[in-house]
Amino acid sequence: MNETSAATPGLAEETEAAAGTVQSTDATVGEIYVDDPRMTCRNVNVYYGEKQAIFDVSLDIGKNQVISMIGPSGCGKSTFLRCLNRMNDTIDVCRVTGQIKMDEQDIYDGGLDVVPLRASVGMVFQKPNPFPKSIYDNIAYGPKIHGLSDNKEHLDSIVESSLQRAGLWEEVKDRLDQPGTGLSGGQQQRLCIARAIAVSPEVILMDEPCSALDPIATAKIEELIDELRENFTIAIVTHSMQQAARVSQRTAYFHLGKLIEVGETDQIFTSPRHKLTEDYITGRFG
Amino acid sequence: MNNQQQQHKKTMDRVQKGLDRRYRQERHFQWLGLGAIILGLVFVSFLFITIISNGYTAFQQTYVKLDVFYDPEMIAPIGETDPEVLSRANYGGLIKASMRQMFPDVTNRREKKVLYGLISSGAAYEIRDAVMNNPELIGTKQEVWVVADDDFDMLIKGHIDLRLPESDRRIKDNQLAWIHDLQEQDRVEKRFNTTFFTAGDSREPELSGIKGAAYGSFFTLLICLTIAFPVGVAAAVYLEEFAPKNRWTDIIEVNINNLAAVPSIVFGLLGLAVFINFFGLPRSVPLVGGLVLALMTLPTIIIASRAALKSVPPSIREAALGVGASPMQTITHHVLPLALPGMLTGTIIGMAQALGETAPLLMIGMVAFIVDVPGSVMDPSAVLPVQIYLWADSPERAFVERTSAAIMILLAFLISMNLLAVWLRKKFERRW
Amino acid sequence: MNEMTSGHIVKAYSAELDHLNELVLDMGNLGQDQLRRAVQTLKDEDPKAAGQVIDRDRKLNDIDIQADEEIIRLIAKRQPMAKDLRDILTVQKTISDLERVGDEARKIANLTIHFYDNGKNPPSKEILHDIYDMSEFVDEMLGLSLVAFTELDLDKALEVIEMDKKLYEDFRGSLRRLSTFIMEDSRNVGSVVDIVLALRALERIGGHAKNIGGFVIFLVTGKDVRHEDIQAISAEIEANRVAE
Repeated sequence: MNETSAATPGLAEETEAAAGTVQSTDATVGEIYVDDPRMTCRNVNVYYGEKQAIFDVSLDIGKNQVISMIGPSGCGKSTFLRCLNRMNDTIDVCRVTGQIKMDEQDIYDGGLDVVPLRASVGMVFQKPNPFPKSIYDNIAYGPKIHGLSDNKEHLDSIVESSLQRAGLWEEVKDRLDQPGTGLSGGQQQRLCIARAIAVSPEVILMDEPCSALDPIATAKIEELIDELRENFTIAIVTHSMQQAARVSQRTAYFHLGKLIEVGETDQIFTSPRHKLTEDYITGRFG
Repeated sequence: MNNQQQQHKKTMDRVQKGLDRRYRQERHFQWLGLGAIILGLVFVSFLFITIISNGYTAFQQTYVKLDVFYDPEMIAPIGETDPEVLSRANYGGLIKASMRQMFPDVTNRREKKVLYGLISSGAAYEIRDAVMNNPELIGTKQEVWVVADDDFDMLIKGHIDLRLPESDRRIKDNQLAWIHDLQEQDRVEKRFNTTFFTAGDSREPELSGIKGAAYGSFFTLLICLTIAFPVGVAAAVYLEEFAPKNRWTDIIEVNINNLAAVPSIVFGLLGLAVFINFFGLPRSVPLVGGLVLALMTLPTIIIASRAALKSVPPSIREAALGVGASPMQTITHHVLPLALPGMLTGTIIGMAQALGETAPLLMIGMVAFIVDVPGSVMDPSAVLPVQIYLWADSPERAFVERTSAAIMILLAFLISMNLLAVWLRKKFERRW
Repeated sequence: MNEMTSGHIVKAYSAELDHLNELVLDMGNLGQDQLRRAVQTLKDEDPKAAGQVIDRDRKLNDIDIQADEEIIRLIAKRQPMAKDLRDILTVQKTISDLERVGDEARKIANLTIHFYDNGKNPPSKEILHDIYDMSEFVDEMLGLSLVAFTELDLDKALEVIEMDKKLYEDFRGSLRRLSTFIMEDSRNVGSVVDIVLALRALERIGGHAKNIGGFVIFLVTGKDVRHEDIQAISAEIEANRVAE
């Protein structure tokens, strides 16, 4: 039985990986390139001190697309995501090699300032983390520090449009002066998304944005992600394969710091080409 | 299946058997904890009861009513307003005259001296001040309440044991008789002791107050706070947020913790060597005291501030960095406001500690006997705990109650500072 | 338990998938048995046995319903992905094909009753010969498709698909031959029409076997081959195999 499955067509790369040398496992299965990339990553390696967390990952992130990154815990998907806006800089021992380009600009270029980068690559985190300030101030903070608003009216309009795009306006318009921490978990997360889009980023990174939310709040966020795709490029790390299947157009599967397979979400979830991907999404290893 | 049930039953039996012991242990632990708390409360209440029972009388002072004739011959002619002349007059003589008038029977020179001793030497100054405020008093006869001597005061407050033989008493029989006479005439009265709050130190217990020491403490703490708080917070922020984590910062951290455990007198020696001997600052001044106490409280503030910074959840930092705030903006806009209540609490506790500190101040000469109330940080002064130490060392019975009273004042300050810390924490603490 | 169904962290999931696959095998065996028996009744001229065959078809329908229920439950409960999803879809389609195999077998059994129940117009042995030849071939196809399903064997699946072409040609050949019987003796028309219907039923069973072969290829490779050129598919499979 095993022989037959190993001999099955379409799994050529996988069998090569299984039978071949260590090197061959490094090759990613699937199409890492896209026609219209917003960010391009080439041979990215990440080290935490002596330990290597990401091995030679190359991946394009397509414009106005949702790309989801899945994989077991500790597979490096969050680490990779955090490379995209250099959030890993906050960790002293973290070192990144390789090339991550956004609009032909290498974001790890020594000359590049990380502040404008983070303004154009926003981030939403696992746990909703609104500032302990009013709802208004939460949204207005980013535009304020970047000097995006000319006057109070302009700032008000930015706050309103951000909240509207995050689908939160109707729920909070009467209590903008109340603390953001008083909202429900799902509302807080949408507040964080509104905060991220208030500075008009091009890319939004989401690190397991729904893992702390109930299914209804999760559905709302997923709907929101789908709407945001029109204007933003979104990269989302998620533990829920169903979520990845629902919200993304492309899916990348990480395993032990390597990018195993990447491809159209439809293909990944119906007929993945790599055995590890298949085993993971069908719930076959721990 | 049956076997499994038996196994289950056996397990439950064992669990039941051990259950009693487990609950007993829990109860014993609870009793132990409760006992410890009760013991602590007993000691604290004992302390408070002793201090309050010893000290509450210090807030009252015995006054004696005298009929003073402002004799123009002894002061100055009627109509004289020159303060120069007025201040030099013999006001003590007025009081003595008034006493003589009251007790015409006393003729013996020695007895007279004892009689005059019933009235505090400060009474003359009161009369003088009254005259200088209102020179029109000269030539009139007024009823004046003057401060009684400390022994008289002690007798009225019941601190002198009359069963002792006369030779062992500070109040002799003839004095008792005079006092009795005065009381008969309703000339003795206990009033609220304002002197205690308005005067500096004095050799005479009835004239001494804590204002000088309180001002000294205030100036010292002011210096201490203005130096220790910004420096401590800056150091904490740097160490927590900017400094690389390596061996050097580890060593610094260990040494800060060590510094917090250094005996305070060592800081006094340091202050003596550096500020007084090297920089040539004057002794006994709040400036030096404040500097020394700042050194002492610095580790406390740094440790508390670092703990407060650490307790700010990393998600807030990430959120701020995520929208593109620079590290400095992240800290000043988000981390510091959240850490501030904790920092303030640490600072106030450090300040309270500094307020009660004696040993380092002894080393820099703040133990001197200083009568004047300090007006600036460069005036020699005492501080509250040193004042307590000085009074506790004095032989007069009246100083015993003043010591306790001063302790009560100090404790009141400490408690209110701690309450302030709690209040600040409650008010500014934010949930996230 | 096979490679397709086993290995889940949740063992009950594996067991459920496994049970589904067992249902397919049960149904396959039953369908094959129905086919054989139906043809046998024709040989034996035994309308009573044919009645039994018709009764037994209900069992196939029951399994069909049971499988559908299990599939709905499984999808709701486990949200199958990738090959699990393909497995379940394959099982569902295979089952419905097998259910139709049963229907076709029932048609043949009906023919037995039609021919021999009142003994009024039994056909000549010669005309029936085509049915026996074709039933053996179809039986082989069905068997092969079931083996391909259990063993996930692409070669056998391709072989079944290949065999279907031969079956069709045989069917055309039989039609030509039967038409000569009509020309010989026009009284044969009634029997020949009935027999053509039986042949048609057998040809349909072969078609269902071919479908199952296609599902197996979908199950293993994730490619839907039903409407694609078999030559291209097998070439691609061969190329992939060479690449190894």
